[in-house]
Amino acid sequence: MKARVLAKSDVLAVVDLLREQGYEVLAPFCGRGRDTYFDTVTDANRDHIQIHLPNPYYPPKRFVFPHIERLMKAERNNGDLRIEPTYEAPKRAIFGIRSCDLAGIYHLDRFFLGREFSDIYYEKRRRNLLLVNLVCTDPERDIGKECFCMCADTGPAARDHFDLQLMDLGNEFMAVAGTPAGEALLANPIFRKGTEEHVARRRETLEHLRTHFESTMTSWFSAAVRYVSQGKVTEKTWEEIGQRCLECGGCTYVCPACTCFTVTDRQVSATEVERVRVWDSCALGGFTRMAGGFNPRRAVHDRRNRRFFRKLSHYFIQRELSMACVGCGRCAAVCHGEIGMPTVVEMIRRATAEAEAK
Amino acid sequence: MSAATQNVYLPKPAVLQRVLPEIPEVKTFYWHFEDATQQQEFHKFRPGQFAQISLFGVGEFPASLPSSPGEEETFFTIRKVGSCTGELDKLQPGQKFAVRGPYGNGFPMEDYYGRDLVFVAGGIGMIPLRSCIVYALEHRKYYDRIQIFYGAKTPQELMYMPNLREWGQSAGVECYLTVDRADANWKGHVGVVGSLFTQPGVSVAVANSTVFVCGPPVMFRFVIRDLLAMGCAEKNIVSTLERYMKCGVGKCGHCCIGMAYVCVDGPVFTYEQIKKLGEEI
Repeated sequence: MKARVLAKSDVLAVVDLLREQGYEVLAPFCGRGRDTYFDTVTDANRDHIQIHLPNPYYPPKRFVFPHIERLMKAERNNGDLRIEPTYEAPKRAIFGIRSCDLAGIYHLDRFFLGREFSDIYYEKRRRNLLLVNLVCTDPERDIGKECFCMCADTGPAARDHFDLQLMDLGNEFMAVAGTPAGEALLANPIFRKGTEEHVARRRETLEHLRTHFESTMTSWFSAAVRYVSQGKVTEKTWEEIGQRCLECGGCTYVCPACTCFTVTDRQVSATEVERVRVWDSCALGGFTRMAGGFNPRRAVHDRRNRRFFRKLSHYFIQRELSMACVGCGRCAAVCHGEIGMPTVVEMIRRATAEAEAK
Repeated sequence: MSAATQNVYLPKPAVLQRVLPEIPEVKTFYWHFEDATQQQEFHKFRPGQFAQISLFGVGEFPASLPSSPGEEETFFTIRKVGSCTGELDKLQPGQKFAVRGPYGNGFPMEDYYGRDLVFVAGGIGMIPLRSCIVYALEHRKYYDRIQIFYGAKTPQELMYMPNLREWGQSAGVECYLTVDRADANWKGHVGVVGSLFTQPGVSVAVANSTVFVCGPPVMFRFVIRDLLAMGCAEKNIVSTLERYMKCGVGKCGHCCIGMAYVCVDGPVFTYEQIKKLGEEI
């Protein structure tokens, strides 16, 4: 991998560079309070881009897997039926995507492109997407109390899967290229050659960051994975987790690694129908309900069990070659019942370890 | 990321040819693709596979393929149970809908060469098994004895009766029917389908049999219990599962049972596999 340094004052020049190359650039901005969001950069908002800020709750996965996406149009005319697929794949760059979300997109790549059938809608969007990763280095603004990327092994500095990675070293930023597209950007004169000292500073910064993660409890991830995979989690534990679920679906909507969707048709004119897919959630009661009313997963704990089984079982980790949890902590932040991933991992570990000790 | 990725979600226009009533609320819809090449391609399906049927404006749903690839016509047998099936029911011959598929693993019929085939169906569980029965009869020399055990709530709800009569008369095929509630004209057996196994003159050679079980969850549970008690090995019991599905290609997540996606890993599973899925079926 090729690395360069650039002056702090030149960081937003990377955004300008991308815009000049025809990319729609999405960057993080601050709203009110904790509210942060990704938005398209324009001349008007360019100077308000935030480098260090709490990661937006609405994950950037929507740029490859939108929460609502049209798949096709069907038109009926004089008894004829014409079906046309509809694709939308703008040339986009996400500036400032965090390492956890990067891992999320990599997980989606494996899921949507790597299995028996490839998803062409995802593929088209993904192929036109450039990722500029930003390492979380500011303990106050970047690292939240729910963050546990250290445990999920995705951050705070991603090792790969980015086109370009930027890391704040104080007065300068280090830029690392992960792909030929990223390397091409480094040809611009704003980037200079780095020194041994820069590399040392990068290492020091990362070492120091380790101490800023609050959730020590999540270091039990591997134990939870083992218990879930071996079927050692008791029904009682799943029920306890289930009783705390309010079935709002929030955890799945903010999750960078959740992939479930439903498909629905909407009438757009007298003769035309469009078929869209919409994010769905295994937390919702109707997720598995079949026509006629039979629902194999009636109890709420069956459905919660499902989410954590899907994310933690060894079988699925092997199948997708990465865990469907990236340690972003969003589920922990949005859950009203306090059963975000870190809590569940802890509940599983404690209950199962106690049961085993008996 | 290859340049030639196909759009797996895109159904192709199909024409409804004719509709035959089977039993109350259940009809058979004969159809073919508008495009002849498409039809040829589709016709390579295996027994036990399924297709996604689109009624634009209402939605899409999965349905078993009851015909055998050896039969000339393609058809679906559908119970009117929800909004999509209700919409299909309204279609008139000549009108168009859309289909994509075939999907799923299907029954590995070649693996059963030389064995007895035992079909145990309850109600509309006969729909997916019809494909295998017809296939087995088309490839008669490869299989030993064929036994069909079929039960429905009432005599009016026994489906594919003309087929059943014909199959029952073929050499080496035994066909046993039962109903939960008889009417004045019913001369046959009354009781659950599992009770047929212990009828005088009925013998299932469990060691050499592959048993296909398909029916409602309650029936499934009891038949499995009976079969295991008779000494049938779990790996020799096969079934096809159904789930709410949106994509049919392992993406939407709705049909997941434990570790398996019913649409791509199934819908055909042995009982040995079903037990290991890690979730109730």
